[in-house]
Amino acid sequence: MTHPFRTSTATLALSLGILGFVPAALAETVVDFTVAEYSSKTGPYFQEVANAFQAENPDIRINIEVVPWDTLLQRLTTDVAGGSAPDISIIGTRWLLDFASQGVAEPIDGYLTPEFKDTFIDTFMAPGVIDGKTMGLPVAASARAMMINMDLYDQAGATPPTTWDELYEASKKIAALPETFAFGLQGKEIETDAYFYYALWTHGGDILKPDGTSGLDSPEALEAATLYKKMIDEGLTQPSPTNYTREDVFNLFKQGKVGTIFTFPMLIPQIKAEAPNLKYRIMPFPEGKAKATYGVTDTLMMFADSDAKEAAWKFIEFAYKDEWREKFDMGEGFLPVTKNVAALPHFTEDPDVAGFAAGLPYAKFAPTIANWEEIADVTVRTLQRIYLGQVSPEEGLKAAAAEINKIRGL
Amino acid sequence: MANRIQKAVPLMMILPGLLLAITIIGYPIIDLAWTSMQDVSRFGKLTGFNGGANYAEVFADPLFWGSLWRTGIWTVAVVGGTLVISMPVAMILNDDFYGRGLARVIIMLPWAISLTMTAVVWRWALNGRAGLLNATLMNAGIIDQPIEWLATANTAFVVEILVGILVSIPFTTTILLGGLSSMPQDAYEAAVVDGASGWDQFRHITLPLMKPFINIAIVLNVIYVFNSLPIIWVMTEGGPANGTDILVTYLYKLAFRFGQLGKAAAISLVMFLVLLAFTMLYVALVSRNDRDDAAPEEEVDA
Amino acid sequence: MTSKLTRSLIYWAILSPLVVVILFPFGVMFVTAVRPREELFVYPPTWGFTEFRWENFSEMWVKTNFGGALLNSLYVSIAATAVALLLSIPAAYAMSRYRFAGKGAYRTFLLMTQMMSPIVLVLGLFRLMMALGLVNDLNSLVLTYAAFNMAFTIWMLQSYFNSIPRDLEEAAWMDGASHLTSLVRIFLPLAVPAVVVTAIFTFINSWNEFVLALTMMRSSEDFTLPVQIYAQVAGRYQVEWHHVMAATVLATVPVAIVFSWLQRYLIRGMALGAVK
Repeated sequence: MTHPFRTSTATLALSLGILGFVPAALAETVVDFTVAEYSSKTGPYFQEVANAFQAENPDIRINIEVVPWDTLLQRLTTDVAGGSAPDISIIGTRWLLDFASQGVAEPIDGYLTPEFKDTFIDTFMAPGVIDGKTMGLPVAASARAMMINMDLYDQAGATPPTTWDELYEASKKIAALPETFAFGLQGKEIETDAYFYYALWTHGGDILKPDGTSGLDSPEALEAATLYKKMIDEGLTQPSPTNYTREDVFNLFKQGKVGTIFTFPMLIPQIKAEAPNLKYRIMPFPEGKAKATYGVTDTLMMFADSDAKEAAWKFIEFAYKDEWREKFDMGEGFLPVTKNVAALPHFTEDPDVAGFAAGLPYAKFAPTIANWEEIADVTVRTLQRIYLGQVSPEEGLKAAAAEINKIRGL
Repeated sequence: MANRIQKAVPLMMILPGLLLAITIIGYPIIDLAWTSMQDVSRFGKLTGFNGGANYAEVFADPLFWGSLWRTGIWTVAVVGGTLVISMPVAMILNDDFYGRGLARVIIMLPWAISLTMTAVVWRWALNGRAGLLNATLMNAGIIDQPIEWLATANTAFVVEILVGILVSIPFTTTILLGGLSSMPQDAYEAAVVDGASGWDQFRHITLPLMKPFINIAIVLNVIYVFNSLPIIWVMTEGGPANGTDILVTYLYKLAFRFGQLGKAAAISLVMFLVLLAFTMLYVALVSRNDRDDAAPEEEVDA
Repeated sequence: MTSKLTRSLIYWAILSPLVVVILFPFGVMFVTAVRPREELFVYPPTWGFTEFRWENFSEMWVKTNFGGALLNSLYVSIAATAVALLLSIPAAYAMSRYRFAGKGAYRTFLLMTQMMSPIVLVLGLFRLMMALGLVNDLNSLVLTYAAFNMAFTIWMLQSYFNSIPRDLEEAAWMDGASHLTSLVRIFLPLAVPAVVVTAIFTFINSWNEFVLALTMMRSSEDFTLPVQIYAQVAGRYQVEWHHVMAATVLATVPVAIVFSWLQRYLIRGMALGAVK
């Protein structure tokens, strides 16, 4: 059945050479693969992998769909609701539980050979395991760390801090420099909550207490929030943090206007390209009562409804070959999730990458719990109200914890 | 027999369009209404009838009421502001002056960019430190410190309303201009002879004759503005602290971030009913006032 | 009577604040689009820049697959406009020339279709398109845009048709012409201005629509311009603002030109379609 319009678009597109036209072979298996767009390199990279794979496996066609991060969850929700889920997709690991508990994700233990499993670094494998079943493979990983502008620290005569007290003292000196902000604080949109968890964890707190209730009403959370608020009030942060996204804060840093930020490895290639003269140093997060960093992984997940699981898995194994992983991690600036790539000189000898990787042994991951996005939203809303002075840290955190417990049904 | 065919002709003419509208719009509405009374999984699987539970949850949610309230402010402010600006603009553009063609083109320009793009550009222009709005105002000596426009809900909401007005002006001005240029000149000439002032002319001639156009502009603008997502979504995502959330942004978060599809469906339906009630009420009020002005379509039916 | 010159000066003075505010974002777009990347984030920000980087446009064109998105947008907008007009013209003609049962109900139904924001209906629409096998097919957008624009086109066309005297057609009937012939030969040529206006409306709405295109089009080869440009902003670790703005400029300028060229028609169509 040919739709007249459809033919015409296809012809139009073809004649202009937009679609790489693949003659339909007999019994060709199509694997739909939804890819999150990390940067403008992501789409072309995966297409390259797919082409190489197809050259070896002419009976399988990989259909790559590149989706902007901000709309990925919406897209997958609609796809699953409409019954047209892809076969495999990159997702945020924090969504995995929702996918798994609704039977949308396919456990992959049956496909995962011991040798293949052994290529992964265990720390990154763990978040994908739910109720003892492996629901996905780590595909991209990063750890967070502190980055300081050495020029500003030198000018202000401040020493690179290892504790929160030292950071506070150093910030006071840097803030005294003209046209300079001491501490870049994110207060808007994606990962505003993460910027707070860094302080929460290093103060010895956690997102969830051992009994599963929210950790926001703990004394450690209060200490962390009070510290941030104090730094805002004393002019140690940039003004109006609630107007600064992650990207805005990083831009300030690239311009050399801010002394200290908390950031991810993907910033390094950007600095090298845009501010090659910036003298920076990567350090662990300041310690309070504990050492911590935030480990973030994205997961490659297979859909339970897929009718091309074998073919999809074949592609997955192909895509995890060292040469491809190396290209991906280098291109995007991620930390390697496989042992062989992690052992490459680039990742062991480069002080920048090593600085981020150093935190991995004590990295914390976002808890795999249901309704994570909603809980994060409550947290962000509360932080914004605290930063804006609409509510005291104590009152705000207490209410937020109660709300989160309610969402969790506790 | 011939009579029956005769009768069938107009129905045949509207039928294709009607079918399309029913399929594309009618079906999803029913789907939505059905969904709103069910327990729905994160991925849209209906897991059982739950009566009014979704609605009860919506009405118990303070964020819903806050968003409803802001939706009211947003709609009234944007539509009101648009009309207040568009009316004199349309009158000027209707008059003869040097450069009128250019002026008309400029006023229509915002229409040429999609709302999403406009919002992206404004967000960039409003950036506290790198944004050109602050640069311009600082150069002009109006402010001496950069202002973080989107940092607090109050200023952010005001800015969003202003952008909302700006993008609604072309459509509204076009409608009003259409009305003005169809106005009979003799009425004005008579008024001038009678010595009526400009303001009198406006109140007693222009305004009454413009009523149908103003009404259309109000109804359509209210519908569009009430449902408009891009400006607020792109500029603040309803933040900070939900302080700029209107119903449609809140709904979007519920449905596509939190996966609460049942509750989102219930809000959608509530929004639909609010708009429906408004339009019906407005149309009823207007047509009662306008009985004597003659309802247009009955006239030509004869 | 004041002279035309004085009047012009006064009018331009009154309009000037609005003109400035309208042109401001276009200025922002332009100066961001042509400046070198290193000068995006300077403090204090300035309108000036050291060199015109026209290469920004060519880089952007390649990097964002602008050409493909442009063709998609053109196809969808033109096809949606054609479908909407094809369905609206007979419907509006019937509404204008005939009495029939259910006319009032039809009118109400059309108004109601305007009240649902596409965002609200996205899930239902997606399921529908799945059932029709149209997901990931630009024609799903064509049908949806046509449907969402029909209420307005019918309403506009009908009030315009009302203003076309019936005598002309009746005279043709007398001469033995069929209704269809009179419709095509006599009526439609008279209706051209209104058809142009509604075509512009539908085209612009389709050209600019975002949410539905985002949901229905799943592979980036099928993205329309707004989605393609948004994809450069959304959730990337880094936004290439100069490319985004270059793309916006290119997506906007053609529409703006067509628009200013046709706006005479637009207002005339509005005026003639007047509910007198």
